[in-house]
Amino acid sequence: MIKIKAKDVDVFYGKKQALFNISLDIEENQVTALIGPSGCGKSTFLRCLNRMNDVIDICSVKGEILINDFNINDKGCDVVRLREKIGMVFQKPNPFPKTLYENVSYGPTIHGIAQSKQEMDEIVETSLKKAALWEEVKDRLHEPGTGLSGGQQQRLCIARAISVSPEVILMDEPCSALDPIATAQIEELIDGLKKEHTIIIVTHSMAQAARVSQNTGFFHLGQLIEHGSTDKIFKNPDNKKTQDYITGRFG
Amino acid sequence: MNKNKEQLLKKRYKAEQRFRLYGQSAIFMALLFLTFFIFKIFSTGHSAFQKTWLIVPVTFDAELMMLEQNPSNVDIQDADYYDIALKSMADLDLNANEDQENELKRMVSYFFEKEIKNELLNDPSLIGKTKEVYLTASDDLDQVFKGNYPRDLPEDQRRVSDYQLKIFDQLVANGKVESKFNISFFTNPDSREAELAGIASSFMGSIFSILVCLMIAFPVAVLAAIYLEEFAPKNRFTDFIEVNINNLAAVPSIVFGLLGLGVLLAIFQLPRSTPLVGGITLSLMTLPTIIIAARASLKAVPPSIREAALAMGASRMQTTMHHTVPLSMPGTLSGTIIGLAQALGETAPLILIGMVAFVNTIPGSPMDPAASLPVQIYIWAESAERGFVEKVSACIMVLLGFLITMNLFAQIIRHKFEKKWS
Amino acid sequence: MSEAAHTVKSYEEELKNLNANIIKMGSACEEALGKAIQAITTRNSDFAEAVIKDDEKIDKYEALVEQQVVNLIALRQPMAIDLRETVTALKMSSDLERIGDLAKNISKRTLLLNENLPKNLVDSLIRVSSNVQKQLKSTLDAYLERSAPMAVNVWESDEQIDDLTNLCMQEVIKYLKENEKNLEDGTHLLFVTKNIERIGDHTTNIAEQIFYLVKGEYLEGDRPKGTEPIVTGEK
Repeated sequence: MIKIKAKDVDVFYGKKQALFNISLDIEENQVTALIGPSGCGKSTFLRCLNRMNDVIDICSVKGEILINDFNINDKGCDVVRLREKIGMVFQKPNPFPKTLYENVSYGPTIHGIAQSKQEMDEIVETSLKKAALWEEVKDRLHEPGTGLSGGQQQRLCIARAISVSPEVILMDEPCSALDPIATAQIEELIDGLKKEHTIIIVTHSMAQAARVSQNTGFFHLGQLIEHGSTDKIFKNPDNKKTQDYITGRFG
Repeated sequence: MNKNKEQLLKKRYKAEQRFRLYGQSAIFMALLFLTFFIFKIFSTGHSAFQKTWLIVPVTFDAELMMLEQNPSNVDIQDADYYDIALKSMADLDLNANEDQENELKRMVSYFFEKEIKNELLNDPSLIGKTKEVYLTASDDLDQVFKGNYPRDLPEDQRRVSDYQLKIFDQLVANGKVESKFNISFFTNPDSREAELAGIASSFMGSIFSILVCLMIAFPVAVLAAIYLEEFAPKNRFTDFIEVNINNLAAVPSIVFGLLGLGVLLAIFQLPRSTPLVGGITLSLMTLPTIIIAARASLKAVPPSIREAALAMGASRMQTTMHHTVPLSMPGTLSGTIIGLAQALGETAPLILIGMVAFVNTIPGSPMDPAASLPVQIYIWAESAERGFVEKVSACIMVLLGFLITMNLFAQIIRHKFEKKWS
Repeated sequence: MSEAAHTVKSYEEELKNLNANIIKMGSACEEALGKAIQAITTRNSDFAEAVIKDDEKIDKYEALVEQQVVNLIALRQPMAIDLRETVTALKMSSDLERIGDLAKNISKRTLLLNENLPKNLVDSLIRVSSNVQKQLKSTLDAYLERSAPMAVNVWESDEQIDDLTNLCMQEVIKYLKENEKNLEDGTHLLFVTKNIERIGDHTTNIAEQIFYLVKGEYLEGDRPKGTEPIVTGEK
């Protein structure tokens, strides 16, 4: 089932065009990886999906992005509600400088999800368990979130993102600042999360894209060169550019 | 080739050493000036914290006081103390003629009546008895005792006569002159008499002005900074505003005084010489300082926190209020305190709006007329009496103490909050 | 082959090296097969002994290629075409090694032959073996050129070899039936014929692998087979 349909998406930074005519379908409850060299526009595309490009003044987005058949680029789209349904995890772990508990409960608080303290406690516990962090931090929920290691912080950010039960989780190079063990833990987490969430991950590591995703899209200079099942892309891609990138023949 | 490299390296090391030397000598000079300044102030001012008292036997003659037998407290309050006071001073030299008796009277402050009355109020059983009472020495004798007086000038060039000096020396020899810590310096309002003058009125005036300034400037400045930094669109208009805020910070303070005079006093008819007007004028001055500090600390909040909040579905308002502003508070607060410390030291604008008037009552609210500490320094510095010289320095010391405390407070707040959220 | 080279030159070198080793191994096999056939058709025992001795070389190549492939996988994590190259090289080396062994086997049996062979047998042998030699050469050329059509050609020709082998087998069986004395030699010849057919199969394996290498897909359908093998026993 298609969860997100991007149709002819163009993105401009002022006069400079960053994305050219991107059309891509994202499958529900699967992991889609976006790969490509630096500056190819994959992060820009990712940020279109939860309207985070609105934050940048000179950035303008054209085209349709349909999520559950609703065009999020429409003027009538409520960005705050959208971001409740589409969560994001960033490259550098950025927990709030508040306690662990407050970090995870922030989303449910502002969206009014929990009706009572008990409910909130449950949401926090569930989110931390799903993020494979509960056992490590259950005794220190009221300590600052910034006191954890890099991998733990990133898992905290993931817990924070899933605390509002989003349908889609966007991940922008979530492991690039982490060591291999932490990376493996996050990849394991992604594997489990895809049962209930649609995941789109931007990554510089092709090996990671190959390990973690079921579908892959290859971007180059703002264009979507090829997309398809990860199997195909990494064993026998159609486009020569794709193959050159994957096998390290670029540049 | 190698030799060239060696030479260059040597040059570099030498340049570094020279630079270090410049830096150290600059600091040394600055410290030298500072030490000299502080030393001068302290040496002149420390004596103001001591007050000279004459110990004079007073006979509480009921007849002279016009008191009945067994008087009530009310009676004691209303009694006349001038005569017994005069008599007790005159009795210091039983051979004094009328002129000399006058001179004796002038050896203590005009407060001596009150001091004697307080003695009786404390112990009504003294009626009919004689007791030694502490009386404030006049400002000139106070200076003589502290050794600041040019005793060797010819008599017609001094305010203290030879006769007064003679009696005084006698009293000193008999141990009837004491120097005690000058509490009244802190608790008395200003006075024409140097021996009685205190900083209470100007201190309270300063506090009220700063409070009014804080209550107006802080919310306005912080909200303005938040709007300009987080919400305002980046266009020519906001650039224009930014430039003008920086310009405002450079405007000479006396201009604000004129503004206060012309607008607050003339148009709005607010009461003159009050900390209310002073505070409003100061807040106009402090506004740009706080805005600049608040904007800088808002800018310093890493954008990753904002992005994280926005990605969670927080509105811009929530992102700003829940995350950016609390994180920027340490910087904003310490900027505010520094701005207030500056405002504390302002003199020119307060003079213009009239906080320079002679105020001999302690203000109870910002609506009462008052002076401020720097203005008080100005007033006292202009006075002719020698007794005010040490008081000027003492007042400077109090002002500096106040400023240092405020700056220390700013440091502590910054340190405490920064540690918490690092 | 992609024209662009790998950014990491040492990786490029390693792949080239692997390719060269396969080609060398292929050449050695071609030589072994050629000598083995000549040995049996012209009864040249020197050639036969040379083939037996040189098989060691082919075995060494296989070990080398295997090691290179394992290194590439562990250290370079090859993707797409590089992965297919690596896997193809591994499989090809295995097939080529078997071809070498089969050639050695032919030569061993050649040395055990007693009598001269009748002309018709020799002709049959020459017919089928030259076909197989041709196929082997075509396959190795297909590898060199990375040509899918050439590989498909080889794959389709397996049918022909099967037919020729059957014919040869028939001749040998006739030879066996003719004379009791021919039993020993005949048996050897049966094995030799079978080995030649097996070499043909391995060559076709290699062709299939080359097709996968170039196209990234597998050849559809069953390999074209020749006529059913003869069921003996009946006069």
